[in-house]
Amino acid sequence: MLSRVADSLYWFGRYLQRAENTARLINVNANLLLDLPKGMTMGWEPLIQIVGADETYKEHYSDVTEANILRFLMLDERNDGSILSSLHAAREILRTVRDSMPREVWEKLNDLHYFVQGRGEMVTSRTRRQEFLQRVIDGSVLVYGTLTTNMSRDVGFQFLKVGTNVEQADMTTRILDVRSTSLIDSSGRHDLAPFYNIQWMSVLRSLTAYQMYRRHVRARVNRTGVLRFLLQNREFPRSVMFCLGAVGACLPHLPQNRNVERTLWRVRALVQDANIERLVEKGLSELIDEIQIGLGEMHAAFAEAYFRKPSA
Amino acid sequence: MAIDWQQYRCEDFYDELFGGPGLPRPAARRLAEYLDDLSNAELAERRLAAELAIKVMGISFTVYSEGKNVDRAWPFDVIPRVIPRTEWEKTEAGLKQRVAALNLFIQDIYNDQKIVKDKVFPAELLHDSVNFRTQCVGMKPKHDVWAHICGSDLVRDKDGTLYVLEDNLRVPSGVSYMVENRLVMKRVLPELFENTTILPVDDYPAQLYDMLVAMSPRPLDQPNIVLLTPGIYNSAYFEHAWLAQQMGIELVEGSDLFVADDDCTYMRTIYGSKRVDVIYRRIDDLFLDPEVFHKDSVLGCKGLMRSWLKGRLGLANAPGAGVADDKVVYAFVPKMIKYYLGEDAILPNVPSWLCMNPKDRSHVLANLDKVVVKPANESGGYGMLIGPRATPEEREKFRGLIEANPRNYMAQPTLSLSTAPTLMNDETVEPRHLDLRPFILSRGDSTYVTTGGLTRVAMTRGSLVVNSSQGGGAKDTWVVDVEADAVAHPFSSQSQSQTSGPR
Repeated sequence: MLSRVADSLYWFGRYLQRAENTARLINVNANLLLDLPKGMTMGWEPLIQIVGADETYKEHYSDVTEANILRFLMLDERNDGSILSSLHAAREILRTVRDSMPREVWEKLNDLHYFVQGRGEMVTSRTRRQEFLQRVIDGSVLVYGTLTTNMSRDVGFQFLKVGTNVEQADMTTRILDVRSTSLIDSSGRHDLAPFYNIQWMSVLRSLTAYQMYRRHVRARVNRTGVLRFLLQNREFPRSVMFCLGAVGACLPHLPQNRNVERTLWRVRALVQDANIERLVEKGLSELIDEIQIGLGEMHAAFAEAYFRKPSA
Repeated sequence: MAIDWQQYRCEDFYDELFGGPGLPRPAARRLAEYLDDLSNAELAERRLAAELAIKVMGISFTVYSEGKNVDRAWPFDVIPRVIPRTEWEKTEAGLKQRVAALNLFIQDIYNDQKIVKDKVFPAELLHDSVNFRTQCVGMKPKHDVWAHICGSDLVRDKDGTLYVLEDNLRVPSGVSYMVENRLVMKRVLPELFENTTILPVDDYPAQLYDMLVAMSPRPLDQPNIVLLTPGIYNSAYFEHAWLAQQMGIELVEGSDLFVADDDCTYMRTIYGSKRVDVIYRRIDDLFLDPEVFHKDSVLGCKGLMRSWLKGRLGLANAPGAGVADDKVVYAFVPKMIKYYLGEDAILPNVPSWLCMNPKDRSHVLANLDKVVVKPANESGGYGMLIGPRATPEEREKFRGLIEANPRNYMAQPTLSLSTAPTLMNDETVEPRHLDLRPFILSRGDSTYVTTGGLTRVAMTRGSLVVNSSQGGGAKDTWVVDVEADAVAHPFSSQSQSQTSGPR
């Protein structure tokens, strides 16, 4: 397998997952805002922080409004992480690896891309927005499903799986980071307690984790439970631990590389050994920073081991 | 009865399928009868089925417009072009002869230049050739083959003569469409394949693969062969991916390759670097190697020329092969055949006037409204003047161009390209102009010619431009064994009236 093709498949996995995650994130935030009392202005800004695009946003928009943020997250081509950009990037990659992917995948992705490109005006109306986002989620799942049911489990597939899981681990930690710092503090005002919990519920929902959380944890939704579930659960596909496990499962199928293994073990140990009870008090944001750095190192190790471009 | 062949207006040109209204040529008789039996609704159904098949099979070509790449579906006509086997055999022999002479010419030009010394080919033509690569001087590629893959364009004039219009020796494209057209036809008109002996075309990728294997500098059973593409922005990217897939070889871009200090070429894989033996390159010479040619080219790979010149790498086609692909050099091909092979050309050239010769030039300039003027080194139908259709301003512009650089221009009489019936959107048939591009593979010890080739059609009424980049489409091309069919099905068509006669 050519390094360039491996690189492309890895990024294809990431972009597709990113489009889906972004759509879910927006959808859940919209629902959350409907539940919060008037005057509580959490708004849409945290979403920009979650996707790590504050700088880019400020460069192109002067004021922070719902319409602007949503346009930026969904349709702005200047934002590399917008749904449209992600799908566009995935599609361009698919062109270059046309010979190694089932043809049907191309058709499904093409469909979705044209839908997003052509139906941007749906973003402005709240009811139609939800329909739009649902279609993005369904479409991404369809592409992924077509892929997993039709593609041989060759090395190419392993790279795609690595990309998908690295992206998910990254998004899950970002959501935890931003949500746990921007969440309202309930300690002072007793009347805000119910809202405190719905915010943690929304964290779960943005990762479609609510139902699974209830099954696994069998306890009310609280900060400790949510953190433990999303970081350390080994069975839920969007938890950081699960994603890292999935990446680990790919390694035996790839040419062995010590550095890749080492970076993976390091970030896994970090997540696994975290003392969640203690983190609730302090140190969460530091831990998440460390995990993010670990993921970055793992990405760099993959790139160095398998995707290297010839030195020009 | 939907198509009324009596109404088919084909008298003004040579028509490939009909000798006159209602009079199919022998090789096309079964086809005409079959189409006759289809109702309008059935015809429409077949036409739409072909469109759908093309979409589903993903047969497309890429056009770059408004800053974006658009994948266009391949325009296709369901009525095939039919060639009798006997005629094709002669054409095939002519093409083999021609390509043999061209390869000898290229080798000679880069080595002893005997043909120049013997005053058969003018030295000044060589000095001004933009496709002459000084880097190739003294090179002798394996088997002495330079133009491994040649796509020659054939056209038929009003009197029925088949001419060679040009030889594409650099990176000819279209062969994937030739094979895919046949697949579409088998889906759409399977009945016809049952009682007609239509020679198959799908052997090409296997033949190409064998030829590339034979070029390997290392004696291996399975040398590492790759196809080098400029990438997705190239209009023929579909074909690049298709060929790689059909041959089971890697589709690489320049950045996947590197040439190491041992002058061998390698590709970068997840398992580390892997030696490359042969590159089927679909990149023009000048972009191939920034070490030697365009310094800023990002499409090629540094050192490829070095690797090739040292004999560590096979390149198809060889760099510099384009020297014989020049439209002015073209005019000398019949002389080359005589000079190198001692034979007369089996396939004629279109008569050509070379603007470098003062006599020819004054003829061309005096007849700009009648001739077609072509620059020596453009492809894709660009930069041409079609005299009878041009405006006076365009003609004056070409007068200036020719006078400024006579070496770079040649002219030919405006041919009345042959036609074939083509199905319109309202299920009527109209004649459309077409040409034929067969592909010739040269291995040194043997030569392979595709069965028929790619028939390109100018889909617009009256148009002579068949290039897909300029609105051309395609037809399936059938080489039909009329004699074999007459033996196998003696009771069909015209013989039927005789056997049912006794009463």
